[in-house]
Amino acid sequence: MRSHSRRIASITAVLAAGALALAGCAKGGGGGAPQGAAGTTQTPLENKAVSAISVGTAADSAGPAPEVPGAKPGGTVYMIDRDDFSHLDPGRIYLNYNSSVSKLFTRTLTAYKHEPSGDIKLVGDLATDAGTTEDGGKTWKFTLKDGLKWQDGSPITSADIKYSFERLFADFITEGPDYAETWLVPDPNKPFRDQYKGPYDGKELDTIETPDDKTIIFHLNGEHPDFNFTVAMTGYGAVPKAHDTKQKYDKQPFSSGPYKIVSHITDKSMDLERNEHWDPKTDPIRHAYPDKFHMEFGVQAQQSTERFMADTGNDKYAFTFHNAVAAERVQEVLGNPELMKRSVQGLTPFTTFYNINTKRITDINVRKAIIAAWPSKQIQQISGGEINTGKIATTVLSPTVLGYEAFDLYGKLAKPEGDPEEAKRLLAQSGNPNPTVVYAYNQTPTQEKITVAIKEALTKAGFKVVAKPLNPTTYYDAIGVVDNKYDIYWGGWAADWPTGSTAIQPLFDGRLIADNASNYSHLNVPEINEAIDKANEITDAAEAGKAWAAIDRMIMEQAAIVPEYYQTYFGLYGSGLGGVKFDPIEGEQSALDIYVKQ
Amino acid sequence: MTGFLVRRVAGALVILLIISAVTFYLFYAIPRDPARAFCGKICQPETLALIRHNLGMDEPLFVQYWHWLTGIVAGRDFVQFGECPAPCLGYSFATQEPVFGAIVDRFPVTLSLTVGASVVILAFGIVTGMIAAWKVGQPLDKIASASSVIGASLQIYFVGPLLAFYLVDTLQLIPRPSYVPITESPVEWFTHLMLPWVVLSIIFTANYTRMTRSQMVEQLAEDYVRTARAKGMSNRTVFFRFAWRGAMIPIVTIFGVDLAVLLGGAIITEQTFSLHGIGELAVRAVQNTDLPMLLGVTIVGATAIVVLNIVVDVLYAFIDPRVRLS
Repeated sequence: MRSHSRRIASITAVLAAGALALAGCAKGGGGGAPQGAAGTTQTPLENKAVSAISVGTAADSAGPAPEVPGAKPGGTVYMIDRDDFSHLDPGRIYLNYNSSVSKLFTRTLTAYKHEPSGDIKLVGDLATDAGTTEDGGKTWKFTLKDGLKWQDGSPITSADIKYSFERLFADFITEGPDYAETWLVPDPNKPFRDQYKGPYDGKELDTIETPDDKTIIFHLNGEHPDFNFTVAMTGYGAVPKAHDTKQKYDKQPFSSGPYKIVSHITDKSMDLERNEHWDPKTDPIRHAYPDKFHMEFGVQAQQSTERFMADTGNDKYAFTFHNAVAAERVQEVLGNPELMKRSVQGLTPFTTFYNINTKRITDINVRKAIIAAWPSKQIQQISGGEINTGKIATTVLSPTVLGYEAFDLYGKLAKPEGDPEEAKRLLAQSGNPNPTVVYAYNQTPTQEKITVAIKEALTKAGFKVVAKPLNPTTYYDAIGVVDNKYDIYWGGWAADWPTGSTAIQPLFDGRLIADNASNYSHLNVPEINEAIDKANEITDAAEAGKAWAAIDRMIMEQAAIVPEYYQTYFGLYGSGLGGVKFDPIEGEQSALDIYVKQ
Repeated sequence: MTGFLVRRVAGALVILLIISAVTFYLFYAIPRDPARAFCGKICQPETLALIRHNLGMDEPLFVQYWHWLTGIVAGRDFVQFGECPAPCLGYSFATQEPVFGAIVDRFPVTLSLTVGASVVILAFGIVTGMIAAWKVGQPLDKIASASSVIGASLQIYFVGPLLAFYLVDTLQLIPRPSYVPITESPVEWFTHLMLPWVVLSIIFTANYTRMTRSQMVEQLAEDYVRTARAKGMSNRTVFFRFAWRGAMIPIVTIFGVDLAVLLGGAIITEQTFSLHGIGELAVRAVQNTDLPMLLGVTIVGATAIVVLNIVVDVLYAFIDPRVRLS
C-alpha cells in the first residue's frame, strides 16, 4: 500500500488524495525499540530480518489473540492525526493510514500476526489458515472460520467473500490494488474490466468457486505462490452484498471486525463503538480492549507532538496512527526519558532512492561513479538525521521484506559522505572523466539544500552537474516520461506484501517500461527479467526470498539506483495508554493491542 | 434603494461567474492530471482513462464548466462518487464528499470565529483608538499607540501556540480550542473559542486602534468640528456626534473587507488551533490540487466580499447623511 510518508507526501500530491505517497504497503519484520524500553538517548533501530516473516499454521490462525499483559477492557481511546481517512471502502484502500484504521472494522482472508518475539506470521483472519495451494499457486483454497458475523449478526459466508472480490471490477473502484483482478480474468494481458464488469448487472465471476458456505476457491490465470499474501491487503477486505451501498460504502463500511463506525464527520472526527457480534474466539490478531475510539483529524504534527508532550486531559489517552514527532522537537524528545517511555519507533516498509536513468547513462562505470560519489551522509543530516528520516540504505529490498540480505557493494556505509577518489577512478575507466549529468529535484526548501550537497559532491568527483528544479505537484508526471531529459531523480517505494515480487518487479522489470510506469530507472536487463520470472514461480516462501535477494544484488551490480533510506517512524502517545505498538506492516502505530490503563 | 440593490446583486453575480470561470480554467492550466489521485499505485492506462471518464474530464473544458454550472441548479450524478444533489458544486477530489455539504458543515465554525473575533476587534479596537484620540499626546495615547504597534507586529502562529501552552496546557485555565455548536452548548461554544478569538483579535485590534485614533484626530481637526465647537457644543457632543461619525466611514469600509476575508476563511487561525472551518478547507484544497473544493471556497470567499461590499455601501447612507443610494 501507499505510505503516508512525510517527504513523499510533499512530492506526490499527484498520486493520492490528502498528500499521499507513492509507496507500497508492505510488510515487514521491521523492528524497533521494544515497547517501553525507553532509554535516555536515541535507541538504535535494528533491521529485523527476513527470517522473522513466515507463513503460520492453522493453530496460529485460531483466536483469540494472546492477552497483552496488564491490559483490561474498557475506556475510550483517542486518536489525533493530520488527515481524515481518504477511503474506508476496502476496495479503494491502498494507503497505509487507511489500512491501519480499517483493521478495526474490516477483516480479510489472511492477516499478519505479530508475535511477542517480534516475528511476523501470515495467518488466517477470516480463514482457518493462510490458504492452501496444490498446483504451485494457480488454485488457492480458503475455508472460513465458524462464528464469523457481520455487525448485524448475519453470518459471513463464502458468497460474501466472492462478492467482495467481484465488486472490485466496478468502474468506481479504481484506487485500490488490482493484482487479484488481473489474475482472476482469463487473459492477464488484457484490461480486466474488459473481461468482467462486476456484479452489479447480476453477472458472477466464474473463477471464484464457493462449493459451500465456508469454502472459497480462487482459480488464477497463472501461478502466484504468494497470493495468500496478496489477499492480506486491506484492499481485499470483506464487503457484504446485502449492505453494499456502492460509492457511499466508502464513508460507512459495514463491520466484520470488533468495532463499527457510529459517526464520521469528514475531516473532523470519527467515533467507533464495539460491534457486539464480533467474536474474539475467531480472531487471532485483534484484542479490542477499549470500549470506544474517538478520532480527531486536522491536527498537524507539531500540534500533536506538543499535545503528547503536555499529556493533559483526554490527550493522556491519545495515540496517533501516522503523525511523527515534529522535526523541531525530536532532540527534545530523545533527551527526555519520560517521553521516550511513551515513544514508538521502527523501520517502515518504505525505501527511498535516487533513480539513475539507465537509458541516458548507459556506461555502467559512470553509474557506479555516481553511487561512489553520492553524499548520503550529508543528505541524511540535511533531512534531519536518522531518527527523522531513516537508515542509510545499500540495497533495493527493505530489511522488512522476506529474503532481505544486507550487502553494500559500493562501500556506502564505510564512506557515507562519498568517495570522490573512487568515483574519479571509475570515471577514468569510462573514458569520460567529466561527464555531464542532469539532476532533477522537487523544488522545496529542503531539496534545494540537498541539491547543493549533491552538486558539490559530484563536482568534486569530476561530474558536471546541471540541476533541474521540478514542481512538486507535477514531479512524477515529469519523471514518469520514458524519454525524459533527466539523469538522476528521487523516488520511493514499498512492497505491497513482504515478499520481493512487489518490491522489485514494478521497479526493475524492463518489460514494464512505459510512460507513467514505475520503472523510473528504465533498467532493462534480460537476465534480471528472467530471474524475476523464475522467482515468481517459487512456491516456498523462504526459497523465493533468497531468489529475490539475489535479484536485488543483480540490480545493484547494474548501479541503477543510489539507495537513500530505509525509512523510519518515530512517534509519541499519551501516558494513560498501554499496548501502543509500532506496526512494521503499515509503518506506523497500531491500534490492535491498545488499552486504557486502569 | 431597491434599484441600487438589484443593480449591485446583478453585478455581483457576473463577478462570481467570471471568478469561477477563471479559477476553473486556471486549474486546468496546471500541467498535471487530477485523475492520478484516484488511481492505484501501479496505475494502468485503461484505469486512468476510466477515471477521467468518471470525472467528466474527457470532455472539452467549456463543457466541463457548463456541467459544473448546471449542477448548481440541477444536481449531477458522478460514476466515481454517486449522486450529488443540487446545489451541487461537485465532489471533493480529496475527501470524496460533496463540496457544498463540506462548506455548509464548516461554515458555522468560520462564522463563529469571525463573529466572536469581530466583537472583540470592534469593542477593543475602536474604544482604545477613541481613548487615544481623546487623550492625544498624553500617556494613555502613548500606551495605546505602543500597544497597537506591538499587537500589529505579532503573528498568530506565534501567539497562538504560546498562549495555548500557558493557558491550556500549563495553567489549564481554559479548554483546548475546538468548535462546539452554539445550539449544543452556548457556554462550551464560548469557552472553546475564547482563545482563537483573542489571538485573532490581537492582530486586528491593533490595526483598528491605530486607524480609529488617526481618523478621530483627523476629524477633530476638520472645519465642521471647529464650527461645532464655536457654536458652544460640549466636547462629548463634538466627539461622539460629529467626529466619531466621520471617522467611522473608512473604518466601516475596512471592516467590511476584513469581515469578508475572515468569512472566506481565517486560514492561519484555523490551522493553528485545528479548527475545521473554511480556511482549513481552502488550505487543503490548494495542497491537494482539489479543483472542486478550490472552486467552492473561492466562490464562498468571493461571495462574502461582494455581499459585504454591498452592505458597506448601504451602511454609508446610514452613517453619513451626505451619502445617497441611487
